[in-house]
Amino acid sequence: MAESLMDIKRRIASTKKTGQITHAMQMVSGSKLTRIEKKSQAYQVYKDKIKETVAHLVASKMLSEYDSASATSNDPMSLKELLKERPVQKTAYIVITSDRGLVGSYNSTILKAMMDLIERNHHGDTQAFSIIAVGGTGADFFKKRGFNIAYEYRGVEDVPSFATVQGLVKTCVELFDAGAFDKLYVCYNHHVNSLTSTFKIDKLFPISKDIANEADLKNTDSQRGYIVDPSVEVVLQKLIPQYIESIIFGSIMDAKTAEHAASMTAMRTATDNADDLISSLTLQFNRARQAQITTEITEIIGGAAALE
Amino acid sequence: MDANHVISLNIVTPDGQVYSQDVKRIIARATDGDLGILPNHFPIIATLKIAEVRTLRADDVNREDAIAVNGGYIEFKDNVANIVANSAELAANIDLRRARYAKQRAEAHIKQAVAKNDPDYRRRAEVALARAVNRIHVYNDR
Repeated sequence: MAESLMDIKRRIASTKKTGQITHAMQMVSGSKLTRIEKKSQAYQVYKDKIKETVAHLVASKMLSEYDSASATSNDPMSLKELLKERPVQKTAYIVITSDRGLVGSYNSTILKAMMDLIERNHHGDTQAFSIIAVGGTGADFFKKRGFNIAYEYRGVEDVPSFATVQGLVKTCVELFDAGAFDKLYVCYNHHVNSLTSTFKIDKLFPISKDIANEADLKNTDSQRGYIVDPSVEVVLQKLIPQYIESIIFGSIMDAKTAEHAASMTAMRTATDNADDLISSLTLQFNRARQAQITTEITEIIGGAAALE
Repeated sequence: MDANHVISLNIVTPDGQVYSQDVKRIIARATDGDLGILPNHFPIIATLKIAEVRTLRADDVNREDAIAVNGGYIEFKDNVANIVANSAELAANIDLRRARYAKQRAEAHIKQAVAKNDPDYRRRAEVALARAVNRIHVYNDR
């Protein structure tokens, strides 16, 4: 009997309190998850449709035609730059992590996958890539390793609003225009269900042929082209910004959903562990108490026997 | 043969799929004017105005659906049409009181914008007004 009765009692009380806290956190994450999950799924439909249209356009060679068309008068988002494939000198990754901890293996999965990816693609050459960090954990992690951080964004809301993302989108487009990088990927945890999420990479810039391959087009005759009303330029000016926004916002939504799910699972495990610990401590406590009573009785009997 | 003579139309917004039906005809308002799409139309992509989209249902020829669509674009190919917009509402789901309130608010905003001489603010308010007017129009027209 290593511990005294009081010690065990204190440990039971504190474990119970921790268990209550983690249970409450599990409930909170659970309710956030149900709130965002529906929205996120609805958004994925929208994102897929836009992606499909852009893929069709790419397949119909409209983008390359537009690329070679004469200079445009009004090109606020510099569409041309976005469509052009430049020789890749620098790659950028938008890495979406959480701001806070207590989310189980959520962050470590992304960061580990990112480190593998960077090692594979750049062989430790820190000049060849930069990071756009969404979420504090990722930002701190990459900063500590001395990686190039082009931009960091903290404080994504529990249910992200479109307005928060617009700033990020604008920055990405500006950085790309300025030539800060020639290729941009979005890396995040894709929410599969409340127990699993998988690491996922989406290519964002430049918008090129491979998205057509990705979206496995059902029929190849889409090459015959489209009627475009009123003009390729106007349609693209509307479509491309919508496309970029939808990919970034969709990824953040997806990642946030996965984060809530991971947080919920982690907290559930913590609560279960607390319960286990309490039951084993209670057993230990009862044993110790029994032993103490037995000792007392023996002492009393011994004392009484000595008196006789 | 019949299968070739319907268009499957999906209207999606960031809030999910609003409308998914087989239709015989789509009438939408593109930036350059009205656009009617019948089955087997040549593939087309067009940007839309804030306006009404009317469809003729395949399962009930006498039934026309009206949907208030806030901009976006339509893509039609191989008898599949997608309308992707920032928001869209079926006529039946429009809350007239809210739309009227939105209209009043937008009008007030425009007045303020004119008084302040803020073109950016005014443009936003005008878009909001167009949306509200469109919703009211679609509701009355259903």
